[in-house]
Amino acid sequence: MKLTVIVLQVLFIHVFLFLGAALKEVIPLPIPGSMFGLILLFLALYFRIVKLEWVEKGAKWLMAELLLFFVPSAVGIVNYDEILSLQGAEIVLLIGISTVIVLGMTALVAERITGRKRGEQH
Amino acid sequence: MMILFTVLTFIIYRLAKLVYSKFAVAVFHPLLLAPILLILLIKGVNVSANQYLDATKWLTHLLGPATVAFAVPIYKHLPTIKKHMGTIMISITTGTLVAIFSTFALSKMIHLKSDFLTSILPRSITTPIAIEVSKEIGGLPTLTTVFVIITGLMGGVMGPSVIKWLSIKTPIAKGLALGMAAHGAGTNKAMEYGEQEATFSSLAMIFAAWITLLWGVLLIPALIHMKPLF
Repeated sequence: MKLTVIVLQVLFIHVFLFLGAALKEVIPLPIPGSMFGLILLFLALYFRIVKLEWVEKGAKWLMAELLLFFVPSAVGIVNYDEILSLQGAEIVLLIGISTVIVLGMTALVAERITGRKRGEQH
Repeated sequence: MMILFTVLTFIIYRLAKLVYSKFAVAVFHPLLLAPILLILLIKGVNVSANQYLDATKWLTHLLGPATVAFAVPIYKHLPTIKKHMGTIMISITTGTLVAIFSTFALSKMIHLKSDFLTSILPRSITTPIAIEVSKEIGGLPTLTTVFVIITGLMGGVMGPSVIKWLSIKTPIAKGLALGMAAHGAGTNKAMEYGEQEATFSSLAMIFAAWITLLWGVLLIPALIHMKPLF
């Protein structure tokens, strides 16, 4: 029963994916169809055209299992010998360093702003 | 083939998730353990990676509706977004710029080939959008996907240590940092911290994608065609 609800809602979310893809054909911006789909679903929820209960469980499942959808692409890494070579180790190191910098900077900026706001309230 | 490999992928993914929840060690991260097991398995039964990818492509396709699904947390948390709009915008704009510039500088340092360079620049955002930016600036979408995954893995694994090390206290900063630096995998990690962290992480992921789309048009082309400074 729960599974049926999830499957139906995931299929319903596809309607917005397709509408988004159609919109992309009309609007000549470098924005992917799924992003238009996101905006359309948001507007539909906002203007109460779609009720939250119609999509909530399906959306929750899609977001919770996000890692699963990456797994096949991760297996595809074997197709890139260069990734597994010496340059590969450098690239992984590059991504590691950059990711730590991005995480740290974003966290510090957000923490600073939040702290300042809190300070003003007192 | 399709059903077999999908079921196998699902079972191994579940198994990896279970192992990771029992032993939270980096090497057991589902995005590392599951692909390794699957690679060994398909090699063992003599199936090529392309055959496997073809059989499971609809799982990858679900990234599309998963992106659309993020409309739900945006709608549910609209009051939070309105309240923290300034913090979100400033933090994520900083984050996207740091991501692009640091990746660019480090890539130049290791003399990355130009198609690798254009493929790696959008690595800090969620796959469907990263692919779009990659195409826009002349990168290879499959390669971008790989870099996005490595990014997610790195952020998911090292994120908590960085947060601890910088003694980040607020849920908003923890969530925004994880979502900005490690997109979906970061948001997955943020769920372990709590509801608020998860919310800000998914918001960070969406805003990072939007802002990076903009940089893909305005900033990255200029950066790539810039004459070397040294």
